[in-house]
Amino acid sequence: MPLPSRFSKNFTGLLHATLAFVLLLSVTTAHAQKDPALYGQGEKVFKGNCAACHKPDKDMTGPALKGAKARWEGKGDIYAWIKNSTAYLGTGNAYANALFTQWAKSPMTANAVTDAEIDAVLHYVDNYAPPAPAQGGPVTTAPEPESSTAWQWLLILGLLFLVVVLSLGGVKHQLGNAVREVEGKQPEADLGFWGNLGRWAGNNKGWASVLGLLLVVFMVLQAWDWAFNIGVYGGDTVEHYKPTQPIKFNHTLHAGKADKNNLQINCVYCHSSAEKSKHAGIPSANVCMNCHQAVNEGRSPEGTAEIQKIYAHTGWDGKAYTGTPDAIEWVKVHNLPDHVAFSHATHVSVGKIECQKCHGPIDEKMDVAEQWAPLTMGWCIQCHNETEVQMAGNGYYDEIHRRLKETPMGNKELREYLEDEKITVKELGGWECAKCHY
Amino acid sequence: MLSRTMRNLHQLIGLSGALLLASCGSDPNSPGIEYMPDMYRSPAVEAYVDFGQDPYYFEDSLVLAQRNTQSARLPVAGTIPFSANPDKAQFNFPYPYPATVEGYEAAGLNLRSPIPMTQENVDKGKVTYEKFCLHCHGTTGKGDGPVVNNGKYPQPPAYDGSQLGTLPEGKMFHSLTFGKNIAMGSHAGQLSKEERWMVIQYVKYLQAGGKMPGEMPATVAADSTQATAAAPATK
Repeated sequence: MPLPSRFSKNFTGLLHATLAFVLLLSVTTAHAQKDPALYGQGEKVFKGNCAACHKPDKDMTGPALKGAKARWEGKGDIYAWIKNSTAYLGTGNAYANALFTQWAKSPMTANAVTDAEIDAVLHYVDNYAPPAPAQGGPVTTAPEPESSTAWQWLLILGLLFLVVVLSLGGVKHQLGNAVREVEGKQPEADLGFWGNLGRWAGNNKGWASVLGLLLVVFMVLQAWDWAFNIGVYGGDTVEHYKPTQPIKFNHTLHAGKADKNNLQINCVYCHSSAEKSKHAGIPSANVCMNCHQAVNEGRSPEGTAEIQKIYAHTGWDGKAYTGTPDAIEWVKVHNLPDHVAFSHATHVSVGKIECQKCHGPIDEKMDVAEQWAPLTMGWCIQCHNETEVQMAGNGYYDEIHRRLKETPMGNKELREYLEDEKITVKELGGWECAKCHY
Repeated sequence: MLSRTMRNLHQLIGLSGALLLASCGSDPNSPGIEYMPDMYRSPAVEAYVDFGQDPYYFEDSLVLAQRNTQSARLPVAGTIPFSANPDKAQFNFPYPYPATVEGYEAAGLNLRSPIPMTQENVDKGKVTYEKFCLHCHGTTGKGDGPVVNNGKYPQPPAYDGSQLGTLPEGKMFHSLTFGKNIAMGSHAGQLSKEERWMVIQYVKYLQAGGKMPGEMPATVAADSTQATAAAPATK
């Protein structure tokens, strides 16, 4: 090995060792300063009083607090400032007034805290270490294997049977030819599969017609089933309609159960017109921004990129709305034909139907929203037939409930309603054509 | 010659047919085929469902442009929701405080709840609170909802703590209407004025540690706001 290269190698090694030593030293000194008890106390006070506007390491409504003590050193009284910023501004302190102007002149809330608590908070923010990243994302179940394996097995069995039959036929044909050869006759020409089939059908007309009939019936049934699934994009019989959205909003993460590390935001927080209007409503971007002004990082780099898309659409630059907002072109998932009138308010507020009854386990295993229910008329009226009207404590039904109670057996219709001791949606007109088609 | 052309033509038709089928199946944003689309997609315009005019009669580009018009819109500037119900007349007035620090302070001084603090209103407010506030502020207003715990959201101060324990209801209404700082957004688009006041009744109930803070008659303050002062005495 030539000398210069070895020298340089040794030199690099030495450099690395020195660097590591210096790093180790700096880490240990930082540790020596950090007092776990004080840190814990500071974290508690910080979260109770400061966290709504400040982050230790990032600017939010107010500046990042890391190093605040050092920044105030020699410029003013940070304790007086934290306890009552408005009063301290009145003293004419230059640094305080500069801060006030810099941070959009929004005054800091007065804090009833002691000097010791302020010390703890400043210790906490100076030594702040971000918590370890959350373990994985929301718990999502893997897609279940298709239950349609039965017919696949039948198909494989059928194919095997066909292979056996064909090879047996081939063997029979060759054996027959061998016998003919021995007997000195002309070997029979190979007619091929269809030729053989035709000859067999000619010889066994009864069987052939029965099998042919079965085949035709089978195909007609298949076509019938297929035709029934045209225009159906949900339910058990077809693949659910699951369009790709411009922003990959994760329903399970936002609305899923809190004990599975999800956020458990109520459905109507975003779809707030579901209780008041025909439409559940696609939330406007300001509803997203109610939280995402403060949350600009997802649980994965992909999630962070999706949040950035909301910022691009709303014109948010991290502190204010300075850009030009434009519309997010969501793809509508549930398309009901125009000749059906459906009202969310009727079903949610009056009928007290859970969202999941029609939209499926959207809070459990739908990272991407999909059409869960078939939305066919059969599906609608089946539910209208089975569902019992919830009248107790339901103001919408007060009048009809009163009439039913006051004339339990006097009226023929009411008697019919109460025959099975329950009143279904159908009995109150849920099967009338004009209930939905108007 | 002719037969070859015919054969090529057949191949072409077969190929385009296959392509057509493949394109139907492969676009995830197309729901698929449907019976009588003109019956499913009427030219009537509804929220979120503008199918445009019949593409049989009109240019594709025109129909596509019609389908892509924005359906969610802002209310006309200066309009306020109106209710003809005389019991709700006090909510028909414009909100007089601007979305500024001064407006916030003025609302805290002058704005009073137009609805009385009753158990019924608290119960109604609780229902709304659980849908619109609980995920951040927590079940009892301690600032420990799942969005804070699981979502690493900046923790809001506790309702009974030193910062919010004595917060006047006018400031609460102002914050609900315009939002407060970066961490809390405006909820005026999701909650009507009446719902906002009912939530505030429940927040006051939580401020008092989960019990009724004593019956307070509505609009007691002499220096009441324009909005409440102008409101006709109901019933």
